[in-house]
Parts: sequence; C-alpha cells; structure tokens
Amino acid sequence: MDILVTAYLLYIAISVALTIWVAQTLFKNGRVFLVDVFHGNESLADSVNHLLVVGFYLVNLGYVSLALKLGYDVASTREAIEALSWKIGLVLLVLGGMHFFNLYIFSRMRRRSTLQDALPPVAPDEYTTVRGKESCAG
Amino acid sequence: MRRLTVLYDPQCGLCCRVHAWLINQPKYVELAFVPVNSQEAHYVYPKLDHTLTLKDVTVIGDDGAVYWGAKAWLMCLWALRNYREWSFRLSSPELLPTARRVVSMISQNRHKLEGVGKLLLRDSG
Repeated sequence: MDILVTAYLLYIAISVALTIWVAQTLFKNGRVFLVDVFHGNESLADSVNHLLVVGFYLVNLGYVSLALKLGYDVASTREAIEALSWKIGLVLLVLGGMHFFNLYIFSRMRRRSTLQDALPPVAPDEYTTVRGKESCAG
Repeated sequence: MRRLTVLYDPQCGLCCRVHAWLINQPKYVELAFVPVNSQEAHYVYPKLDHTLTLKDVTVIGDDGAVYWGAKAWLMCLWALRNYREWSFRLSSPELLPTARRVVSMISQNRHKLEGVGKLLLRDSG
C-alpha cells in the first residue's frame, strides 16, 4: 500500500480513537456536574450530557475529516511519520480546546444555578416595620 | 427574600433612568418602586427615618431589611438575573469601599450629573 494512504488510515484510526476517549471522559465525569446543576434531576442531566457529547463528536470528527488531506506527496516513511505527527498534534489541540470549552460550559451552568439560590451579598443596615402592601410594582 | 422595594427620587432624571432600566431587566427577585418620602412610603414604613432616604437610594426587603446607599445598589444588582454575579464581586471587602465612594459621589451630585447628561445629549444630537 502507498505510504500516504497508510498514513491517512493511521491518522483516521488515531484521531477517531482519541475523540472517543475524550468524549467518553467528558460523558462520564460531566454527569456529576450536570446532576448538581439540575438539582438532582438525573434524567434531565443525562439528556443534556448526551446532547453535549453529540455536539463534541460532531465538531471533532468534522475537524478530523476536513484536516485529512496532506496537500503534498511523501516519499519516505520518515516524511509520512512527520506529517502524521503534525496532523495528530493539531487534532489533539482541537480536542483540548473543545474539552476546555465544555468544562467552561459546565462550570458556567453550575455557577448560574448556585447564583439563583444565593443569599444577598451584604447584611442589612437595619430592620424596619413593614405595613400593608405597596401598589406600584415595577 | 421574594420582593425588594426601592425608594427613589422621582424628581431626579438619573434615578428615573435607572428606574426605567431596572424595570426592563430580567429578575430573580421582584422589584417594587415607591417615590421617596411619599405618603405611601410613610404608610408602609412608619418607623423608617424618611429624612435619611432623601439623601440616598434605599432598598427594603419584604422582611423589613433596610439597605442604604451602596448596599442598596448592590441589592438592586442582586435582584437581576444578569448582574447577580456582579453584586457579589462588588461586595468583596476590596471593592465595597470604592463602590461606596462612587455611589455617594453619584447620589450627592445627581442633579448636576443630570444636567451634564442633558448637555452631552444636546451636543451629540
């Protein structure tokens, strides 16, 4: 088989395996965050978790597919390994970026939910008596 | 706390603008607005020192908790969905004194600031 075709096949195999590994890690460990965000509603957490992982797969596999083409011929095994390494490196960086982006989304969702239940940031200066009901609500 | 009442000065353009802005913001806690030193304010809060409320914006919770000046502004931010995080950031010991200074400067010069605002609007228009 042609060296370039072998490199392409190796590239696909490694990239897809890496994507699956990262997505599974995200899926397993993100669930805990989401259950907390949705106040113990596990079915909602699982659903959101699944949707996030699907998005993760789509973006990563899309990138892997688009970045497949090398654009020049490789004559030796050494050149093929160099090209493969460069491509895999890019895939890893994209995966890393996506992974951190997902973590950011998780932490943001969690922060939002803790904010909703948060007590006032400052203590009152005093307490006064409240009588009846005000009329001009805004 | 489910509801906060803001005692504001309807004579001051800046306060009215802030009032209009607050009304349109998505909220965690309902905000009610009562003109400062009005009959309604005196009726609902009979034991409150209403001369103090004339100096600065005042926020009162449905449990009777009173917040003056910078704290009142922080409570307004706390009521808003998009700014609750800011209320915590600004209430940190490092930032609260600065927030207090800025708020007291704005509220003491609110009528002057209103004039400057109008002048700027006229120039740009």
